[in-house]
Amino acid sequence: MSTVRPDAPAPDSAPTPTRRVDASMSLLVDMMTNTLDEAYAERAARRTGEAEPVPESASASGRSRTLAGFAVLVALGLLTGTAIAQVRQRQEVGTGLRADLAAQARDRTAQTDALAGQTDLLRAEVTAIREAALSADAAGRALTAQLTALGLASGTTPVRGPGIVVTVQDAPAGTSKQTDPLRPGTAPEGRVQDRDLQDVVNGLWTAGAEAVAVNGQRLTALTAIRSAGDAILVDLRPLTPPYVVAAVGDPEKLELAFIDGPSGRRLQTFSSLYGITFEVRREKELSLAGAAAPDLRAASPAPGGGS
Amino acid sequence: MIPALALVLGVTLGLVLEPTVPAALQPYLPIAVVAALDAVFGAVRAQLEGIFDDRVFVVSFVSNVLVAALVVFLGDQLGVGGQLSTGVVVVLGIRIFSNAAAIRRRVFHA
Repeated sequence: MSTVRPDAPAPDSAPTPTRRVDASMSLLVDMMTNTLDEAYAERAARRTGEAEPVPESASASGRSRTLAGFAVLVALGLLTGTAIAQVRQRQEVGTGLRADLAAQARDRTAQTDALAGQTDLLRAEVTAIREAALSADAAGRALTAQLTALGLASGTTPVRGPGIVVTVQDAPAGTSKQTDPLRPGTAPEGRVQDRDLQDVVNGLWTAGAEAVAVNGQRLTALTAIRSAGDAILVDLRPLTPPYVVAAVGDPEKLELAFIDGPSGRRLQTFSSLYGITFEVRREKELSLAGAAAPDLRAASPAPGGGS
Repeated sequence: MIPALALVLGVTLGLVLEPTVPAALQPYLPIAVVAALDAVFGAVRAQLEGIFDDRVFVVSFVSNVLVAALVVFLGDQLGVGGQLSTGVVVVLGIRIFSNAAAIRRRVFHA
């Protein structure tokens, strides 16, 4: 039997002749060699010492012991089954929660979209009513013209016209030399960053764009392009790639000035270095939605100013 | 044969009934299972070596489960619960493996 304790003498043998070399490390040795419960050996030794097998071991007490063993095994099974069931339950809860959150996010996005559409309608209505109210006299018409010009400049009026569309996209998986070790399949270097988009937009403004929108979101002087985690936000609304930047202006001049400008050249560098793809396309007719009217921060209605 | 039946019966009961374990005891359940498995492997080996004893088995089973749970509980109180559970699993795992190896040698003579 290989399980005799190395540093304990066998019950009836001569005292161990020499001390084991590794006696001081007996904890690990014990753990590796002495794997069977010593009680088994002790009981067996006592039983053989008793010479005759106890006659009653086959009767009452023997049966109750078998029963105890049976019960213990059932208990072990129960423990195992419960543990397995519990781990499964926890996993279900986790996936359920995630699906729930995703559904909630989708719901809220749809809600926001619906509300944005409603806002557009109401804004158009307000504009129409205002024009109708102001068209009565010359001063009103001048005011309308002024409002329209200001709306164009501030980005709150929907506009149409020729222009160019710059489409920027993350590098396709696997093209970049480096891949993210945490998320295989994606290349962190080939991902479009918020500052890249800012650069494109600024390049378009510099090239002479009169109105710019990113993925349908009209940009104003107060628009922020930022990132949160992996997502790029325009005015706190997340964008999904590809990033489509539409600019209204003279298409030829815009395209030339943009591609030859610093941001166009930077895009080309990124494209060759990191695999970001971009495309500049001329459009005869672009239609950009208006941005939400900015909140009034300092102005308040004058008291008694009815007309 | 009967022990195997008892095991299957227990697992089925556990999976079907899904008894709710008090949240306070949940971390100790897996450790208890591993400790119990260790007792069972030891018993099988003892059986094959002809020195099996039901009393030793029952006592070692119960004490294994309790001690393992107690060790992890103490570890939790001391702030090293995770590491201690790893330690318990490693030690018991070694025992289970070497007992399994002994059983394999007995059964297959290889």
